[in-house]
Amino acid sequence: MAMHAERSAALHELTSAPIQHAFNPYEDNGGTILAIAGKDFSVIAGDTRQSQGYSIQTRYARKVWQLTDRAVLATNGFAADGNNFVKKVKQRLEWYEHAHHKQMPLKSIARMIQTILYGKRFFPYYVYNILGGIEEDGTGAVYSYDPVGTYERESCRAAGAAQSILQPFLDNQIYFKNQTPEPGAEPFIPGNLPLSTVLALVVDSFTSATERHIEVGDGLEVYVVMKKGRPTDDLVGEGKLAPGMAVEELDALGEGDGEKTFLVTRSLKRD
Amino acid sequence: MVAKDIEVAPIGFDFSNYARNEFLGQSLGGLPKATSTGTTIVGLKFGGGSSGEPEGVCLGADTRATAGPIVADKNCEKIHFLTPQIRCCGAGTAADTEFVTNLISSNLELHALSQGRQPRVVTAMTMLKQYLFRYQGHVGAHLVLGGVDSTGPHLFTVHAHGSTDKLPYVTMGSGSLAAMAVFESSYKENLTRAEAIALVARAIRSGIFNDLGSGSNVDVAVITKAGTEMLRNYEMPNERGVKSRNYKFRRGTTAFSKEYIRDLIVKEEVRSTSGAGKEQGPAVAVAVGEGMDVDP
Amino acid sequence: MFLTRSEYDRGVNTFSPEGRLFQVEYAMEAIKLGSTTVGITTPEGTVLAVEKRVPSPLLESSSIEKIMEIDAHIGCAMSGLTADARTMVDHARVTSQMHAFTYDESIGVESCTQAVCDLALRFGESVEDDDALMSRPFGVALLIAGIDEKGPQLYHTDPSGTFVRYDAKAIGSGSDAAQQSLQDAFHKQMTLVEAHTLALKVLKQVMEEKLDENNVQLAQVTREHGFEILGETELKQVIEGIPA
Repeated sequence: MAMHAERSAALHELTSAPIQHAFNPYEDNGGTILAIAGKDFSVIAGDTRQSQGYSIQTRYARKVWQLTDRAVLATNGFAADGNNFVKKVKQRLEWYEHAHHKQMPLKSIARMIQTILYGKRFFPYYVYNILGGIEEDGTGAVYSYDPVGTYERESCRAAGAAQSILQPFLDNQIYFKNQTPEPGAEPFIPGNLPLSTVLALVVDSFTSATERHIEVGDGLEVYVVMKKGRPTDDLVGEGKLAPGMAVEELDALGEGDGEKTFLVTRSLKRD
Repeated sequence: MVAKDIEVAPIGFDFSNYARNEFLGQSLGGLPKATSTGTTIVGLKFGGGSSGEPEGVCLGADTRATAGPIVADKNCEKIHFLTPQIRCCGAGTAADTEFVTNLISSNLELHALSQGRQPRVVTAMTMLKQYLFRYQGHVGAHLVLGGVDSTGPHLFTVHAHGSTDKLPYVTMGSGSLAAMAVFESSYKENLTRAEAIALVARAIRSGIFNDLGSGSNVDVAVITKAGTEMLRNYEMPNERGVKSRNYKFRRGTTAFSKEYIRDLIVKEEVRSTSGAGKEQGPAVAVAVGEGMDVDP
Repeated sequence: MFLTRSEYDRGVNTFSPEGRLFQVEYAMEAIKLGSTTVGITTPEGTVLAVEKRVPSPLLESSSIEKIMEIDAHIGCAMSGLTADARTMVDHARVTSQMHAFTYDESIGVESCTQAVCDLALRFGESVEDDDALMSRPFGVALLIAGIDEKGPQLYHTDPSGTFVRYDAKAIGSGSDAAQQSLQDAFHKQMTLVEAHTLALKVLKQVMEEKLDENNVQLAQVTREHGFEILGETELKQVIEGIPA
C-alpha cells in the first residue's frame, strides 16, 4: 500500500507538450553493498537479491567479486553493467599479470578502475563500485567510486539502494560521528575496530536494511581479506560466528603470497 | 433586469489549484512522487455444495505499507470494516483506501438505519463504484469487497476508475499476479472453511515473498452467515531478526555547546489594587499599611 | 655474409631462403659503427657510460646527448644511429607515463624495455591508418638501466626487438674488447664507485682519443636518487680515480 496518491497519466497527456520517447538502456537492480577497512583486514559485503521494479529477478546474484589474493570488488546499480565491468577488470588484471609478471597491487587496481570508468564518461557504466583489500604495506583499505570514476580511499562506505540508511549508521559506529568519548577516556580512532565487531556491524547493517528497504534481502555475502601472517582465530573456529552464519577460506588466485580471503555467508529475510 | 452571475455551490473536490500544480510540477521537475500499488489482497468464496459447510467469503491481505522503496509500516491493516458482515480489502493509495472505506461504512450504517435492515454487498459495491467513478481514478483505491447478506455470499473487485467484477476468486494489488497464480492452480468450488483459509493464506504468502511491494504478515477475514471472524496476523512468517550488537549509548554521548536550565514552574507576582491604575506598592506592604480585610 | 646478398636484402620483411632478415642484420652492423657504450649493475644501482666522439675542436661536446632519461627511475644509453633512439626513447617515456597514470605506480624496468622492443619490430610496409610506422629497422642499440622492486637492472635491446638482461654489457665499435674487460673485472658485490671507475676504465681502453670529462658521459640509477647524469665535477673525480 503506497503512502501517496498517483497522478493520472491520461490527464497529463491532455495538458502537456508532446512527449519525446527515448530508448533508456539503463535499469536499477536494487541491492546494497558495504565495505569497512580494519588495521590489517578489510571486509566487503553485499546482499544477493537482484530486482527489477517490484519483481525479484533472482534471490542469488553475486555482487561481490574476488579479484586477486588481496582485492575484492563490490558492484551495485545496473547488474548487466556491473557484471560486464567486473569481466573487464578481471581481463585487465590478467593482461597485467602477463605483461608485468606480478599480481596488480590494490592501489593500482584502484587507479585502473578509475581509468576504465572514466573511459566511458559519456556512456557510463551505471555502477557504484567499492573496492576493498590489503595494500602493499599490509593495511586494510576501502576505495569507493562514482559511476564516472571519482575515487577516494576511506575507512568505510555503503552504496546502493540502502546507502541512505546505512552510511549514517557507519559514520556513527565506524567514524564515531556525534559520539563524545567518556571524560578522561582515550579519543576514538577510526579504522581500529576488531574484526568481530566489524562483522557484527556489517550483519546488523544488512538485517536492518532488509527490514526497511524492499530491494534488500534474501542473502548476505561478506568477504574478509586478511594481511599475510595475521592470525585467523577471530574468524575461524567453533563459536566464532553467530548462529546461522558460515565461513569458508577461498583458494589463492595467484602465487599465494600469504594474504587470505574468507567468505562469510548468512541468509536474510525473503519478503 | 440583468441576471446575476450564478454562484457555483462549494461542494466536492476543489480543482482550482490544478493549473497551478501542473505549472509547479513542470518547473520543479515533478510533483510529490505518486506511487502505484504495493500490496497483495485476495478473496474467494467457499462452502456450500459438496463441502457440506455453510457458504461464505474469505478475504486476505499482507501488512506492508511502503513509501517508494522504503517500508513505512511493517504491520498495517488492509482489511477494512464496512458493516458487521461486509469487509473490504484496500490496495493503492493508503489515504484513499482508508477514507473511501470509512465513508462508505458510514453511509452503509445510515442506509441500514433508514431501511431497517442490514445492507447488501451489492449496495456497498454500488456506492463504492459511484464514488470512485465520480473522481475519474484520482481517488486511488483498488478494492476487494466481500461479505454475506440476505441473498448469500458475494465477492467483488472495485477498480479506482469505478469498474467492478463479480468473481468466485479475486486478487488485487502489485502482488495480484503472484497470488492469482496460486488461486489458478489450486482454487476449487465448495472448499471447506479450513481449506479456504489455508488457500487464502498461501496466496498472500506468495505475494509477500515474490512481490517487493508486499511483505510481513498475513491477515485473514472469514465471513459467513454466522458472522465475521477477523484473523489478524493469522501467519507471521517474517519475524524481526535480533541484532548482534547493542546500540545503547552511554549517557553524555551527545555533545552540547551550551547549557541552559529553565524553570518550568510559572511564577507570577500578584498585586492587589483597590483603585484602578493607582500604584499600590508590594502586596505585602499594602496588606500591612492599609489593613485590608482578609478572610480569617 | 655480403657475398650471399641477393634480392632478399631488398624488402625489409622478406626472409632469405636461409631464414634471415638482411635489413635487420645490416641494422645490427650499424651499431658496430657507433661509439662504445657500457653498462654495469651493482647492488647499489646501475651505471651507464658512453664515449662521445668529438671529431672537431669546434664542436660543443655538451650538445652530444647519448644518455637519456626515460622516467625518474629508468635511463638509457645508446649506440648506433642515435637519431633513431629519439623515437624509441619518446615511446618509452610515453609508455612509462601512461603506466603511472593508469596504475598509480612506476613501470617495471623489464616492462619498459619490452615496450621499446615492441616498437623495434614495427617496421615495413605501412598499412592504411597506421601512419606512424618506420620504413626500416631502427639502427640503434640501447642499454636500458633502471631500478624497481626487483632491484637494479640492465637490459640490452637491439634492432631485431630482442632484449636480454645483463650484469654488465658493452655495445658499439669497441664492444668486443670492452665486453672482455668487463667479464674479467666484474663481480656481483661491486660498489657503485667501483662500477663508475670500471666503466670509464673500460672505455679508456677502447677509445682512440685520451679520455677526459668532455668526451665521456656517466650516469647512474640508484634507489635513493633515481636516474641522474653525473656532473662535471663528479665526472672529473671518477676520471682521477682511474688507475693508470
